[in-house]
Amino acid sequence: MSSPARTRPVEDTIPKIENELAIGEDLEFQRRWWRFEHVVWICFTIILALDIAGVFGRGPLSKAHAKTSDGAIHMTYERFARFQTPSLISLHLSPAAVRNGHIQLWVSQSIIKPLGNQRIIPQPATSELAQDGVLYTWPSGVRPDSVDFAIEPSTAGVEHFTVRLPELGDQLTERVIVYP
Amino acid sequence: MYTIIHAIIGYFFLLLVVRVMVRRPGGQLTPFEFVIVFLIGGVIILATVGDDHSVTNCTCAIIAVGLVHRVVAIARGKSRTFSRWIDGIPMVLLRNGEWQLEAMEGLRVDPDDVMAAARQKGIRSLDEIKYAVVEKNGSISIIRNSD
Repeated sequence: MSSPARTRPVEDTIPKIENELAIGEDLEFQRRWWRFEHVVWICFTIILALDIAGVFGRGPLSKAHAKTSDGAIHMTYERFARFQTPSLISLHLSPAAVRNGHIQLWVSQSIIKPLGNQRIIPQPATSELAQDGVLYTWPSGVRPDSVDFAIEPSTAGVEHFTVRLPELGDQLTERVIVYP
Repeated sequence: MYTIIHAIIGYFFLLLVVRVMVRRPGGQLTPFEFVIVFLIGGVIILATVGDDHSVTNCTCAIIAVGLVHRVVAIARGKSRTFSRWIDGIPMVLLRNGEWQLEAMEGLRVDPDDVMAAARQKGIRSLDEIKYAVVEKNGSISIIRNSD
């Protein structure tokens, strides 16, 4: 035998206006909502303005420069990057970077793994694992004016990276904020 | 796991954006609003599935969205306060021959919208209307003086 359908008496719980129309209008609640709505639109506008300025990457405020004290390396990069989105770290090397017929550049492991280095332009003649990083070598005959690391960050967060000319001892350590 | 987190964040973000985009008088989406909904939905899909376009990933994303939607629906049923924040509340626009200006301005409704809803009920002038109420879904209900 089937059980009876569940029922409940109707209760007149919806507030009325003029004691005749049950609407449940609540002007105070609606005013609160409009204030909230106003705050949300202000936040959206601020977010867009920050994005245009480059605070979330790919804008004027995102572009960063760094230089070693002797000017052997001049680096440009984006201080704000985005998860799995291409970005470029460019190193401009002075003629002083050539030593013993070649250029050697050491980069920290963080460029390879969390910052997701995809390729190096121009391609180095050799690359070898070194202490906490990778050592790249270019023959002096093709001394590059600049070396570009095309990165694509594989994790979000704050990442520090270091580049160094081991034969000169100069190095740069910078920070990239990767947005999810 | 990231797909599920992104899907949940995307759901609530889309809910917020659609909710703050003011109820549309008439309760119908215009082509202009269709564009907004499809565009926002498309962008959120990109962030949700990322570069993993596998059936497994998309299935998980759909299930996650379906589950969140169900949880929100249950919470709406259980909590009146939550329901009001998610759906909004009905607002009176016209009451005994007086426009309720705060509601009209806040909801961006003008007398033409009310008259359009009234004509659908065979009402010929505003004098015949006792109450005009904008409902949660944006449609306008008309109650005649004689009702």
